[in-house]
Amino acid sequence: MSIWLRTNAWRHAVIISVCLFSLFPLYLVVISSFNSTGSLRLDSFIPREISFANYKMLFNDPTIPYMTWVKNSLIVAGATAVLSVTIGSASAFAFSRLNFKGRKTGIQLLLLVQMFPAILAISAVYVIMERVYTFAPSIGLGTQAGLLLIYLGGAMGVNIWLLKGFVDSIPKELDEAAKIDGASAVQTYWLIFMPLAAPVLAVVALLSFIGTFNEFILARLFLVDMESRTVAVGLQQFIGGQYSENWGPFAAGSIIASVPIVIIFLSLQRYIVNGLTAGSVKG
Amino acid sequence: MTSFFTGKVSFVLKLVVVLLLSSVLVTLTQSAFAQKEYFIAGFLAITILLLVLTYLTKISIPLKFFLPGILLLIAFVLSPILFTVTMSSYNYKTGNIISKSEAIEQIKNRGFESDADGTSFDIKIGRYDNQEAILVSDSINGAYFISTENNRIPLIAQDLTVNEYGVAESAPDFQTLSDAEMANADEIYSLKRFKYQDEYFIALEGFEVGIVSRQVLAFDEVNDQFKNIISGEIYTDNGRGNFAIEGSPDQYLEPGWRAPIWFENYTKLFTEERLRAPLVSVFIWTITFASLSVLTTFALGLLLALALNKPIRGRRVYRSILILPYAMPSIMSILIWGGMFNTEFGAINNLLGTDIAWFQSPTFAKFAIILVNLWLGFPYFYLISSGALQAIPSELLEAASIDGANPRQIFRQITLPLLLQILSPLLIASFAFNFNNFNLIYLLTGGGPRAELDGELAGATDILISFTYKIAFGSSVQDLGLASAISLVIFVLVASISMYGLRKSKVLESFQ
Repeated sequence: MSIWLRTNAWRHAVIISVCLFSLFPLYLVVISSFNSTGSLRLDSFIPREISFANYKMLFNDPTIPYMTWVKNSLIVAGATAVLSVTIGSASAFAFSRLNFKGRKTGIQLLLLVQMFPAILAISAVYVIMERVYTFAPSIGLGTQAGLLLIYLGGAMGVNIWLLKGFVDSIPKELDEAAKIDGASAVQTYWLIFMPLAAPVLAVVALLSFIGTFNEFILARLFLVDMESRTVAVGLQQFIGGQYSENWGPFAAGSIIASVPIVIIFLSLQRYIVNGLTAGSVKG
Repeated sequence: MTSFFTGKVSFVLKLVVVLLLSSVLVTLTQSAFAQKEYFIAGFLAITILLLVLTYLTKISIPLKFFLPGILLLIAFVLSPILFTVTMSSYNYKTGNIISKSEAIEQIKNRGFESDADGTSFDIKIGRYDNQEAILVSDSINGAYFISTENNRIPLIAQDLTVNEYGVAESAPDFQTLSDAEMANADEIYSLKRFKYQDEYFIALEGFEVGIVSRQVLAFDEVNDQFKNIISGEIYTDNGRGNFAIEGSPDQYLEPGWRAPIWFENYTKLFTEERLRAPLVSVFIWTITFASLSVLTTFALGLLLALALNKPIRGRRVYRSILILPYAMPSIMSILIWGGMFNTEFGAINNLLGTDIAWFQSPTFAKFAIILVNLWLGFPYFYLISSGALQAIPSELLEAASIDGANPRQIFRQITLPLLLQILSPLLIASFAFNFNNFNLIYLLTGGGPRAELDGELAGATDILISFTYKIAFGSSVQDLGLASAISLVIFVLVASISMYGLRKSKVLESFQ
């Protein structure tokens, strides 16, 4: 018994207490979402009532366009994920495999650029998009299209850099063989590289989706209209106001928005962890 | 399949896509040019040229691959960076946002004062003789007239429709405005001056009141200065974006314009006490916050990785529970924690049986931030530490154990040093990430608590990036020039940290 205690008891103690720490806020949100009083107060560990009022409010209250927010988030994050991986992987392929003048300088520049935290240029981006708005209101400040472009550009450095790492790890012999067989670079890319890289690209796309979904400050600054907001901005406004303690609907809203992401994340955790050790830090 | 990439179908498809995209871009270029945004127009024009050259000719194969990525990078990363550099050398803040010519125009328009009696009339706006005009009712003298920019046409009361207050509603040849015209009238009429007498004119205040005024400030184009015609004071360009009286810099005309002031935004950081004091404390907290975040998350993550390093019953379930905080969208988690720390309605006080105003006290607020970041960040370090633990060759540990080392010694002298070596690039990356962890600070405490009434610029939990954001988009003064300067300083700091991390991970050596 004493040996067991010394070798294993501390493990269980640590694990169980951290598990409680990790579950506590999540449990609280779940019970608050079913509680109609609307606060994040813990009156008892076992919920006294199960009410769907908060969920109903999200779907029925015309002043809270929750479904529109979800749709906006899905569109913006989805488009960012797909486009940034498509464009990024092509660039990464060129930097990793093709020979051209200025490649080395290009890589070094890329390395420097991807270190620039996008948030630092936020005032410049704001002023530029304000100007774009004067001649192209459909892609300037306040539009989702404009926000998408900024996300795409802002993540491009990191994405190319990350994907270049993956491309580097694919054996060169494969595309050299294809080259000898007479395949052009374009053919090698689509027929050899793409099928091999597809799972990795899917993970990078997923990380990019989650990152964009989580992005708050640009979305907050850019999307002023109630109808054009993303979930993150919409829900924050919900509880951000001084007198609005709308925790019930907020809890319900964040559960609906988070559950799919949590499920995807957990089911793909093995691949994601590999991506993490390659140097990406989730935003 | 292979023929798809070389065949005619694909060429036609490509042609259609490139032409469609180009035509959209051509339209954009034209409208940008029309708005005098020459930089943007130029960039768009070059983009079109490159697109057509790259995808419709065989000029360069690598370009086909990286052109879209590079163009996006240039448009939304490089040019904002360069623009930030430019802005940082300008006096570019509330009151100094527009260009000099716009500022001169506005000063001229505002540079008048009402006559000594403050005479004002009831008016109606409309058109006369195809010009903007006002129908003026001078009820004190019982006189009526129509006034345009250069003419004043006296009217006879019998010809007019006058309402019960003695205000003329309509007059012959005077057309009132339609609703559609009324909607845009403010822009046109508010800048107009209507003739009165001598040097006096009537300026509008709203659509129903006209004030007798005269020009006070006159612009002297030759000497590039404004003169107050009445007092004779002369306002010269002070070289910092304002017309000011020489010798008394506080007396300047509004608005100013954005003017180059070179390094002043940078030197200000060190010389202006009002700025230097908060910057120093914010900087110290930023470093403390980032270090503590890395330390706490790494320590807890490593502890868990060690605890779960042996086969334990329920390991998979534990693992899933432990990475839940990481799988949750962080933005939601931060907001939820914010609610939990609420003084009255929050679960933390509730659970502890306390009544702490967490975000009102600097110490509690800082503690809350570190705790929340621990919750958000430990799963990441748990995941990578358990990966790294497996990468340590077991022979090493066995050898040490045979040599008589106890588990504690093995951990201290073999496992930990090796882990630190493997993970140091990621620890540094995490430091750099937390250095700019804007979302956490902004959403949890908003940088507060802050004694706003005392004119404090920074809150107790503001980190550099949230402080910069406040300067750029704050509620009272928005100083984009200064914010840009601080941004660039942060970039240099973060880039040096990241460079150091990369050198450690030897990425730089892998360049062929």
